[in-house]
Amino acid sequence: MEEPGFIVHHKGDSLGVVVVEDVKAGQKLKGWIMDTNETIELTAASDIPLGHKVALSALKKGDTVLKYGNDVGRAVEDIGVGGYVHFHNIKSKRW
Amino acid sequence: MKRTFLGYPRSNGTVGVRNHVAVISVMDNCNPVTRAICQAVDMTLPVTTLFVRGQYGHDLEVAFNTLAGMGRNPNIAAVLLVGLEEQTTEEVARRIRPAGKPVEAINLQPHGTINAVAEGTRRALKLALGASRARREPCPVSSLLVGVECGGSDTTSGLTCNPTIGAMADRLVEDGGSVIISETSEFLGAEHLFAARAKDEAVGKAFVEAVVRLEREAVSRGMDIRGTNPTQDNIRGGLTTIEEKALGAMAKAGTSPLRGVLAYGEAPAGKGLHFMDAPAPAVENLTAMAAAGCQLIFFGTGVGNPIGNMVAPTVKVCGNVNTLLTMADNIDFDASEILEKSAKVGAVGDRLYDFAVEVASGTRTTSELLDIRETAISRFAPTI
Repeated sequence: MEEPGFIVHHKGDSLGVVVVEDVKAGQKLKGWIMDTNETIELTAASDIPLGHKVALSALKKGDTVLKYGNDVGRAVEDIGVGGYVHFHNIKSKRW
Repeated sequence: MKRTFLGYPRSNGTVGVRNHVAVISVMDNCNPVTRAICQAVDMTLPVTTLFVRGQYGHDLEVAFNTLAGMGRNPNIAAVLLVGLEEQTTEEVARRIRPAGKPVEAINLQPHGTINAVAEGTRRALKLALGASRARREPCPVSSLLVGVECGGSDTTSGLTCNPTIGAMADRLVEDGGSVIISETSEFLGAEHLFAARAKDEAVGKAFVEAVVRLEREAVSRGMDIRGTNPTQDNIRGGLTTIEEKALGAMAKAGTSPLRGVLAYGEAPAGKGLHFMDAPAPAVENLTAMAAAGCQLIFFGTGVGNPIGNMVAPTVKVCGNVNTLLTMADNIDFDASEILEKSAKVGAVGDRLYDFAVEVASGTRTTSELLDIRETAISRFAPTI
């Protein structure tokens, strides 16, 4: 398989992890879903640093964010497909 | 056939993966003498500590038990205690003697530094001569107790090094060995998922109580632990919420049932996976694991954390290609093929298990060879 641009831990997760350097807005990315060995594609909507997250589906403010197939928090603003997901736009539900 | 490694069988049935004479400071004012003795005698390891003088109650008990636990660790063939006066030194000595190894002590009062260094050096020499007679023999992997740790985490940690360590931990538990995962605060946000793996309700409850106690204490002290976990370097590395960090951290425990909950530095009574309630920062957490008897520690890192434990060789596992280049001298095992070549975590975990057997048999780690090792016992009360 061609080297992926991002990796998804579990099918159904809201997020993928960018594994190539200097992703720019508008860049097409291939993603590898680790547990099912599937490949998906999307276009980055923002610049995303290596190791940071890209949204796989549109998230509305308040939506639950899934990673490893588990609830890891909620969106605090609307995030489009391919958007940069980081601590500015998702927060823990705990506090 | 049962898997084996080449270890040092001890008289009490445990097995060392190293064969050192520990020179242990009973309190902070003894450290200079401890270091001087260790510079003079090969095979010695300086186990220094801060405080102890002026500690009291539970906090002092933890200090004595942790110092003694490092002395009892199977990697230690013999112990030389360096104390200020006899009474406190004896508190540590009597906790080590049941392990059945030679325990000697020197005290600074009333001999003075030069005499204490001279006498300590003579005794360390004798202990090292005795220890050097031990030979490695094939021993079952079921005699291994390994700690699993992470530090300097980033998003590669949850995808590469931590699940790789988890796969290795599962193999070891299947083969009858034992694993300790700790860092209580790292479970915040995912404690319900880990509790569900407990062997019974009591163990699950004890685990959740440890996490809830920590959160309650942080809140009661007016602290906002959202600022410290994830840490600033975690956030730069791409981590977002404490739940995300918790799920990634938990991956290094593998998938086996949780058999028991341990206090700081407490040795497990049985085999399998255990949780130890101890603060997360690496140096104090690794110290607690070594005191519990871990012969080896596996430490996953993303952005890089160099530190290792003095008594338990610490294997640094990393899956971040950048860190593998920039901090190559601090990494022992490369797990980057998961992200770079879409390698299966299970296959990389098998390779790490092979490496674990190799390190247990004598292959050195970077933190041992470069002496990037430190000891710190957690404090639970102020000194008076």
